[in-house]
Amino acid sequence: MASRLIRQSQGATKIVKQILSTDKAEARRRVLNLYKAWYRQIPYVVLNYEIPGVTVKDGRVKLREMFMKNKHVTDLRAIDFLVIRGQMELVETVNIWKQKNHIMTWFKDTWNPKPADFLSKFYEGN
Amino acid sequence: MATLLKIWPLMGRRILGNPAACLACKSARTASGSSDQPEVELFVNDIPVSVPPGTTVLQACAEVGVQIPRFCYHDRLSIAGNCRMCLVEVEKSAKPVASCAMPVMKGMRVKTDSEIARKAREGVMEFLLMNHPLDCPICDQGGECDLQDQSMVFGSDRSRFVDMDHEGKRAVEDKDIGPLVKTIMTRCIQCTRCVRFANEIAGVEEIGTTGRGSDMQIGTYVEKLFGSELSGNIIDICPVGALTSKPYAFTARPWENRKTESIDVMDALGSNIIVATREGSVIRILPRLHEDINEEWLSDRSRFAYDGLKRQRLVSPMVKDASGTLVSCEWEDAFFTILDRLTGVTGSEIAAIAGGHADAESLIVLKDLLNRLGSEALCTEEIFPMDAAGTDLRSNYLLNTQISGIEEAEVVLLVGTNPRYEAPLLNARIRKSWLHNDLTVGVIGPQLDLTYEYDHLGDSTKVLQELAAGTHPFNKVLSSTKRAMIIVGSAVLQRADGGAIHAAMSTLAQNHRVKSGCDESWRVLNVLQRVASQVAALDLGYKAGVQVVRDNPPKVLYLLGADEQTVTKADLPSDCFVVYQGCHGDAGASMADVVLPGAAYTEKVGTYVNTEGRAQQTQVAVTPPGMAREDWKIIRALSEIVGQTLPYDNLNEVRRRLAQMSPNLTRYGDVEEANYFKQAEELAKSVKSSLASDALTPPQLSLKDFYMVDSISRASQTMAHCVAAVTKAEAK
Amino acid sequence: MSVYLEKLRHFRLAIKQHGGIIGAYLNFYRTDELKWGDLIGEDKFGNKYFQNRHYFIGRSRWVQYSDAVGMDYDGSQIPPEWHRWLHYIGDEPPTTAPPVKRSWMVDHKPNLTGTPEQYVPYSTVKPKITAWEPPKA
Repeated sequence: MASRLIRQSQGATKIVKQILSTDKAEARRRVLNLYKAWYRQIPYVVLNYEIPGVTVKDGRVKLREMFMKNKHVTDLRAIDFLVIRGQMELVETVNIWKQKNHIMTWFKDTWNPKPADFLSKFYEGN
Repeated sequence: MATLLKIWPLMGRRILGNPAACLACKSARTASGSSDQPEVELFVNDIPVSVPPGTTVLQACAEVGVQIPRFCYHDRLSIAGNCRMCLVEVEKSAKPVASCAMPVMKGMRVKTDSEIARKAREGVMEFLLMNHPLDCPICDQGGECDLQDQSMVFGSDRSRFVDMDHEGKRAVEDKDIGPLVKTIMTRCIQCTRCVRFANEIAGVEEIGTTGRGSDMQIGTYVEKLFGSELSGNIIDICPVGALTSKPYAFTARPWENRKTESIDVMDALGSNIIVATREGSVIRILPRLHEDINEEWLSDRSRFAYDGLKRQRLVSPMVKDASGTLVSCEWEDAFFTILDRLTGVTGSEIAAIAGGHADAESLIVLKDLLNRLGSEALCTEEIFPMDAAGTDLRSNYLLNTQISGIEEAEVVLLVGTNPRYEAPLLNARIRKSWLHNDLTVGVIGPQLDLTYEYDHLGDSTKVLQELAAGTHPFNKVLSSTKRAMIIVGSAVLQRADGGAIHAAMSTLAQNHRVKSGCDESWRVLNVLQRVASQVAALDLGYKAGVQVVRDNPPKVLYLLGADEQTVTKADLPSDCFVVYQGCHGDAGASMADVVLPGAAYTEKVGTYVNTEGRAQQTQVAVTPPGMAREDWKIIRALSEIVGQTLPYDNLNEVRRRLAQMSPNLTRYGDVEEANYFKQAEELAKSVKSSLASDALTPPQLSLKDFYMVDSISRASQTMAHCVAAVTKAEAK
Repeated sequence: MSVYLEKLRHFRLAIKQHGGIIGAYLNFYRTDELKWGDLIGEDKFGNKYFQNRHYFIGRSRWVQYSDAVGMDYDGSQIPPEWHRWLHYIGDEPPTTAPPVKRSWMVDHKPNLTGTPEQYVPYSTVKPKITAWEPPKA
């Protein structure tokens, strides 16, 4: 994928092709648009998927958390990719292509972190 | 016929002129390679090959990489030449020639794949199959059967056997030869490998043949137990399914098994084994070739005690409850119970005893932990005299000449040991050497059947004194050779006068070395250990024997697989807290306040040093059952709980620590030699104790004593059946 | 018009059969249904069986479960002899045509799943490894 995005120009320098946004402001707009779209959709998501114990408020907190998880990203192309992926997730959610457990995994980790130190590993059995 | 078979080894010697030629091809080459006789050139399928005279055609073919099919021929047995499967065509010979029994001749032109050879094999195969049942689907040998394989390659696709209505196939009654070997004698093709094995290698002349032609039968003449400590090997050498393993019967097919190459710990030889597992449990143990230790044999205890790995196991930690009964608990509970007891106890009040199956990793971790807690009282169950040089010089406690050294020796003196049951494969080596190299054997101890003839020097300690002083008649025998070995059994060193016995033998050995002017690299003094962990434990600086614990009764005692009841509750103060770590519930676990379940030798990667000083490692064949863990990890985890975290987290780091303590422990496969006999002998002069007058008697005297000696074999039902069978046979 | 009057009449009959407004409400709460009909019989568990040919086939026979089970009623609580009548396998109810009692017949037992008496499968395979039993103190 990356090799297609990076075109070798005649000179030694690489010219990077944009994905969607040409500058930072446009990228920001796209992110905010996606955020808003999600924000408006959340009441319907909560209604359609009936996740036990998840209210609209919880959903919005989670939405903010998931956006903030990527706040360190500054590369425009990376931001665009994240927006595209967020959009895809939204479409899948809206069309109920997802199942209940796909939504539930955003709210609760069902796996325990692997033990790192000797004693915990010993108790775990290896 | 039976008498004829018994003298076969001798006949083999006469016919071939060279006794070694009937052994491995390799030994034949080395033995006669040194002689001045010119090599004989012959052609195998037009490829020229030069071999020493006396070599057989079959061995010459093997030299150029041509494998001749065979049933009766076996590298380590004398030549019988009765299966006729190895027929080859020799030019200018009227008939096909049995290549296993035919010595090479100059200019011989052998054809192994000609029309005549192929037709001859096909004919032989047809005759064999005429009287062999077609029960491969229910036969335990299926998949590892020579007859099956070779009939696929060399046999015909049809049979002319049609006489089903009148004479039918030959049928032979099965024989009951004990709880280990199952016989289905109809399948027998009379290769007589088992007869030769019993007579030559095991030295038990109980199997032979009766009748001739199609009435020939292999058996024990009258129905009786095949009482040998090496009986399991006849299962391996049987090319068909006539002799199969009774405990393994109908268990699995060989291609279903996962095979793990490991090391045996049932005796101190460290025989190489293959552990076959299926569905997470060990289903059989087979020998693995190691020319310097076990050749291709294995003792019955090592081979059949594996069912003990599934019984009486410790599967979860246990702590004593208020009523004094051990109840299962979590690892944390067990650790914190120990921690509670350890607080307020000074280092000198802690002691540890290591048992016979402890691996070097757990030994070093336990030693490091106790040293950090301030204790030096680490000892092994097995006693070794600590006076004079004691265990400071490795040469004092090793089998210095090595097991393969027996084949070079000319005189062997066995002191207070019964190698037949303490180390069956060492005994088989002595017998091999006695048979082929005219080895002279002297024995000090009780007069036992060791399967070879020996000079009995008596069983009193007076003999030792005389020998050390050089006044005994046997000294003449010793002084006549440059290659003498003295093998001292560790059993007699358990005695109070063990130090004096060791000193006397050390003096004798050193005097002999000086007087005979033997090679500097030839060692004379050997100690035959009985348990697998002893050499590693002494290398790591454990004190041999539990005298330390008896002298300073500890408040906390840590038993690492110590099950031999060398220290009992009666020896300890009533408030002594006993922690037992091990794989089996036996004497040790019964007296413990906390039980920590460890792994058996098939369940962990562990370093063991055999009695020669050869470091070898076991491999994980199955996972430890239940909550059991690898032993070094348990102690490492405990160290963290008691606040003395040891600085290693994985096996490599433990091994690095092992190498720091004693580099030989991680040089796997190599024998680390020791050579301080002179110094040891000088130090031995300072031994104060004098010889007691008791007879020098090792504890294992009869076959009955051989089967159950450690916690695994005591838990094994197969071994219990063996003991019962031997007891019954003795009562008759 | 008369259709509506008929409906009303049936409604009143149903209320009457259930012992007034409160009884009818409770029954409706329990079964989501309000029917009236002839009591054909009662089995030994206390389930009552009704029939009213006015309703069409499939709804014309029904059961009113014993009060003892409360809201935990279940199709498996119906014994086989009533089951065959209730499912129109035959028209004769066990009250008029009692089934032949044979020695090998066992008493009917409802499905006990979810109750403390439920069947829980257990392994009958011998364990591969037998653990050590510590000696009793």
